[in-house]
Amino acid sequence: MKVSFQALQRHVDLAGITPERLAEVLPMLGLEVESIHAFGLAPLPLVVVGEILEFTKHPQADRLSVCKVDVGDGQPRQIVCGAKNFKTGDRVPLALPGTIMPGGFEIKVSKLREVESMGMMCSAEELGLGKGEDGLLILTAQKPVVGTPLNQIFGAPDTVLEISVTPNRGDCLGLRGIAREIAAALGLTLKPLSLKTPAGLVAQPSATDAFRYIQLNSEFCPYYTARTLRKVKVGPSPEWMRRDLEAAGLRPINNVVDITNWVMLELGQPLHAFDAKQVQEGIVIRGAKAGEELTLLDGKKYQLEAGTCVIADSHRPLVLAGVMGGVDSGVTSSTTDVILESAWFRPGEVRRVARRAGVATDSSHRFARDVDPAGVELASRLATDLLVAHAGAEVFGPAVVAGKPPRAEVKIELPAGFVAQKTGTSVSEAEVAKCLERLGFTIEKTTSGLSVVVPSFRSDVTRPIDCVEEFIRIYGTERVPVGRPIAPLPGEEDTRSSLFTKEVSSRLVGAGFTECCHYTLREAGEIERTLGKSALTQLALENPLTADQTHIRASLLPGLAGALAHNLSVHADPAGLFEVGVVFRPQSDGTIREFLSVAFVTPASSVVRTWKSREAWDGLKAKRFLLDTAALANLSASRLGFAAQSDGLWQKDQSAALVDRGRSAQGACGILDLRWTRSLGIKGTVIAGEFMLPRSAFTESVRTPRFSAFSSFPPATRDVAVIVPQNTSAAEVLSRVQQSAQKAAAKEFELEAVHCFDVFCGPGLPEGNNSLAFEIRWRHSSRTLTDEEANRAMGVVIAALEKGAGWTIRR
Amino acid sequence: MQQSLAQLVAQANQEAQVIKTRAEMEAFKARIVGPNGSLTAMMKNMVTLSKEERPVMGKLINEAKKSIEELLASLLLKIEDTEISATLGAPLDPTLPAIDPPAGYHHPLSQTRERILSTFRKLGFTVAEGPEIETEWHCFDALNTPADHPARDMQDTLYLPQSFQSADAPRRGQEALVLRTHTSSVQVRTMLSRKPPLRIVAPGRCFRRDAVDATHSANFHQVEGLWIDRHVTLADLRGVLDFFVKETFGPEAEIRLRPSFFPFTEPSFEMDLRSPNLGRLSNRWLEIMGCGLVDPAVLKNCGLNPEEYSGLAFGLGLERIAMLLHGIDDIRHFYQNDLRFLRQFA
Repeated sequence: MKVSFQALQRHVDLAGITPERLAEVLPMLGLEVESIHAFGLAPLPLVVVGEILEFTKHPQADRLSVCKVDVGDGQPRQIVCGAKNFKTGDRVPLALPGTIMPGGFEIKVSKLREVESMGMMCSAEELGLGKGEDGLLILTAQKPVVGTPLNQIFGAPDTVLEISVTPNRGDCLGLRGIAREIAAALGLTLKPLSLKTPAGLVAQPSATDAFRYIQLNSEFCPYYTARTLRKVKVGPSPEWMRRDLEAAGLRPINNVVDITNWVMLELGQPLHAFDAKQVQEGIVIRGAKAGEELTLLDGKKYQLEAGTCVIADSHRPLVLAGVMGGVDSGVTSSTTDVILESAWFRPGEVRRVARRAGVATDSSHRFARDVDPAGVELASRLATDLLVAHAGAEVFGPAVVAGKPPRAEVKIELPAGFVAQKTGTSVSEAEVAKCLERLGFTIEKTTSGLSVVVPSFRSDVTRPIDCVEEFIRIYGTERVPVGRPIAPLPGEEDTRSSLFTKEVSSRLVGAGFTECCHYTLREAGEIERTLGKSALTQLALENPLTADQTHIRASLLPGLAGALAHNLSVHADPAGLFEVGVVFRPQSDGTIREFLSVAFVTPASSVVRTWKSREAWDGLKAKRFLLDTAALANLSASRLGFAAQSDGLWQKDQSAALVDRGRSAQGACGILDLRWTRSLGIKGTVIAGEFMLPRSAFTESVRTPRFSAFSSFPPATRDVAVIVPQNTSAAEVLSRVQQSAQKAAAKEFELEAVHCFDVFCGPGLPEGNNSLAFEIRWRHSSRTLTDEEANRAMGVVIAALEKGAGWTIRR
Repeated sequence: MQQSLAQLVAQANQEAQVIKTRAEMEAFKARIVGPNGSLTAMMKNMVTLSKEERPVMGKLINEAKKSIEELLASLLLKIEDTEISATLGAPLDPTLPAIDPPAGYHHPLSQTRERILSTFRKLGFTVAEGPEIETEWHCFDALNTPADHPARDMQDTLYLPQSFQSADAPRRGQEALVLRTHTSSVQVRTMLSRKPPLRIVAPGRCFRRDAVDATHSANFHQVEGLWIDRHVTLADLRGVLDFFVKETFGPEAEIRLRPSFFPFTEPSFEMDLRSPNLGRLSNRWLEIMGCGLVDPAVLKNCGLNPEEYSGLAFGLGLERIAMLLHGIDDIRHFYQNDLRFLRQFA
C-alpha cells in the first residue's frame, strides 16, 4: 500500500514529524515500510513557466533550435533546445541559471555550438516527475501565468511510503486506518470526518432511484447498499485527486471512477459505480447460474462457476462481486446516471473467486481481508459528497440497503493479570487500558479485569490473546524483559536420524569426502533413469513451476554425479563427494516412503596427479563404506547381504544392490553406469554407494553394550584353500567355512574368526575354477587348544567343504 | 700378557669399525671369544700363571671380556639398524606432500545448522523431525490457516497429485498433500505425539513455488523452535532469541521484536538483528526470523488446553543465517556445489 505523507495529514496532524520518523515508527507497529521515496516536484525555486515567443534552427546543428523564451520580466531569454515537440506560444518549464536539477546537475549560462543559452527547458523526466512523454513538459493547456515558479503549480513535494500490510490488517488498506495506527503510536488524535451527505439508509427504493428493487440472494453478500446519482457529468477529476491517485500508484480514468478509487484509498472500502441505464429493473445479488458468462473491465470473458457471487440485474450478471465490474455496465463518457454500490462480501469467497478467475484487484484484495461493515455507509456518503462536488451529480434521496452488517463491535473480557502473565512483565491494568484506548478500543474496568470493546474495523481482535498483541504493539516490545536461560529437560534426546546424519557426515568428511546439497526437485529423465518409467507418474508434482523441476528425487546420486561432472569441468580437482538427505521411494503397497539417504561418489582414480600412486577405488571399498554406514544406523551386518541388480544408475556386473533381511534399508554400491557418467562428461569410472533407511527405522532404542570376558589363552590357527567353480559366490564358500568351523568347535571352544586371505584363478587350477583360501582361528576360554583338537576340527571343515558340488580342497 | 690383552681389545675395537654384516660379525666374534678365539686362548693360558698373578690377571681378563661383549652388542645394534634401513628403503622426506586426499568439508548449510542446533541444545532444546511431504492439515489447517485464509496467499505451495499416497503423512480426510512450506508442521506433529513440557528444534528442508534467483530457491532450509510449558511468556521468547543471537553473532549483536503476523502465533513478531560485525550489512536492522507465542487455536488443534499451557515458537531460515555469517550474496551457491565455494568454509 502506497501512502502519501501529505494525504495522511487529512486524518492526523503530523506537524513536526518527518516521513523518515514515520518509517521508524510504522515497522514497530507491524506495518513494514518497504520503501520511502519522493513524489512530485522537488523544491526548484528557479524553475519557472516560460512562453516560447519564437524559435529558429541552430545555425550549426540541425537537431537544435534557438528559442526566445519569455519569463514575464520583459527580458526574453535565448535558450538552445534539442526537443522537437513544441510550437510558438507553448508554455514550458524553464530552469534558470543556478538551478540544481533533481539529478544534481547545475544549470549555467553556456554556449552550445557557439550559441549562448540562458537556461534549460525541461522534460517531465528531467524534473523528476517520472517518465512522461518524450520532449518538453508542455503546460499550455493548464494556462499557467508566465513566470510562475513551477512549484506553485505542482504543489509542495510529497513523500510516498510503501507499506506492506499483513493479511490480518485489512483496516490498514486505507489511509485512515494507517493514520489511526500512527495516532495511537504517537499519542495523537485522529481528525473527524466531515460529511455533507446525511447518514441513514432506507429499505425500499423510491421513484427517483434507477432500480426498482435490491434482492439479496447470496450467502456471500449479507449487506448491500446502492444509491442513485443523476445528471452526472463524466470528465477529468480535479488535479489534487489525480495527484493522490498517482501517488498511490493508480491511474486516473474519469471523475466517477476516480472518486470510487479515491474513497477506497481513503477508507479502505471498495465501491462500484454502474451506468444506471445499463441496469434493468433491479439489482440482484445471487449465485451465478451454470453456463453464465461475464466480460469484465479487463476485456476478458469469464465462464462463471455456478454459485459464484455476482451482482446482476433482472437479466444478466453485471459484476463479479467484490472483484471486478463488467464492461457492459461500467461508467463511460456518455454516462449520466450512476448507481453507487457500497457493500460487504465474505472475505473467503472473494479470495476464492479472485484466485479462480486469476484476477487480483484492489477491490478483491481489500474484501478478502475483511472490510469494516461500519465503513460501508460511510464510504458511500463520502463518495456522494465528491460526486456532487466534482461531477455535478444530483442526489434525490438516501441510499437503499438490503441485509444488515455481518458483524459489529466485539466485547472481550480480559482477565486481570492476563497481559502481564503472557508478556512476562509486571504491567498494571491501568497501563494495559491506556494502551488499548489509544487504539480506539473502549475499556471498562470490571471485577474480574477489563472489559474491552473492539470497534468493527478490527476484525482480527476477538480474544484476550489478541489484546496482548495490541497492547505490546503500543507498549513497545523493547520494554519486555529478557527472560533468563532455563535448565534442560531430563530424558530428552535428539532424534536418532539427526544424530546419525551428524555422525555419518563427520566420518565421510574425515575420509576425504566433501558434502554437497542438491535440489529435491528434479527433471523427469533423471527419475526414469533411477527407477524406470513407472516412477514418472509416481513421483510427479501436481503443479511444477519449471520443466526441469517436475519430480521429487528418488536418489541422491544423480545430483552428486552432476556435481562431480561440474567440478571436473571447472578444474576444481574433485575427490569424493557426498550428500545426506531425504529421497522418495515407491513401496510395494503403492505408497511413497521418505528415506534418509547417504550417498557418495568418487572418481576411481585420483583426478589430481600425485608423485606416488595410490590405491584406486573399487566396488568393494564402496561396500565397506556402505556396511559401516549401516552399522552406524544400528543395522547389524548379519541382516545385510548383496545381490546383482539392474538399476539404471549402475554399471551392469560392476555393482550390487544391498539386501536387508529386516526389509527396511535399501542401497547399492559399485561403478555408476558408464554410458551415463560419460554423457555427463566424466572420463573415468565413478565409484559410488547409497544407503537409504526410512526415518522411522532410526527410532529403535540403542542398548548400552555389556562387557563379556575374553580368553587369555593363545588361539589355534589353520588355513584351508578350496577350489570351486567360478560361478560360486564368495559368500557361499565363506558361509560353508564358517558353519563347519562353528560346528567343529561344537560347544567345547569357540570359533573366533574366518578370514578370506586369497582369491586365485589361473595356472595350476582346472579351467573355470577359483581357489579361495581362508584362515580359521579357534580359541578356548580357559586353556590352550591342543594340536589334536585343532586338527580334528580342521577335519570337520574339510569334510564339509568336500561335500560342495564340484568343490575340492587344494592341497 | 697384560700388554697383549690390552692390545687384543684395542685391535678388536679397530676391526669392528669395518664390520658391516651379520656374517662378518659372527666370524669376528669367533675369532675372539669362539673356542679357538684369541681371548679364549688367553683364558686358557691362565693355568700357566702363578697363584699371585692369577687373581690380578683374572680380573683383567674379565674386564676385557666384558668390553668385547659390549662391543659385540653395539655392533649387533648397528647391523640391525642397517638391516632395518635396507627393508624400509630411502629415508622419509617429510616435506613431500602426503598422498591421500585431505579431509573433506562439511557443507556450509550443515555447519550453520549444527551451530544453531548446538546453541539451542544448551537451552535444553532437542532435535525433532517430520516428513517433507505433509498433509495440508499439518501444514496449514492445524496451524490456524484455513483454506480461505489470505495467509495461504503468502506462500505458493507445491502440491502432489491426489493419487499420491505418503507412507509418512497419511491423509486425515480428503486434504491435499504438499511439499511442506515450513517446518512449523513439525510443531504440530510434536504436540500431537508428546506431552509438555516440550522444547524442540526442528531443522529441515522446505519448499515454495518460487522462481530461483539470488534470494529465492525452490527448496530451502528452516530451523523451527517450539517450547510448550505452563507460563511460557514473551520474556522467555526474548531470552531465548537473545541468547541465540549472541551465541551466533557475538555479544555485540542486539535484537528487536517487530510486531508482525503469522496465523499460528499471537502475538507475532519478526525478529530483527543488528550487529557491528556483518561487513556491509553491519549496524542496520536485518530481518532474521518469525516468532511469537503459540496461538491458542493451534494448541487446541493439537490437543493441548490453552488455559493450561502456553508456548513460544520461532522459525529461521538456514540459508539466510549462513549468508549473513559468511557474507554470501547468492543463495544459488549453496546448491551449485562448486568445490571452490564449498572449500571456503573449513
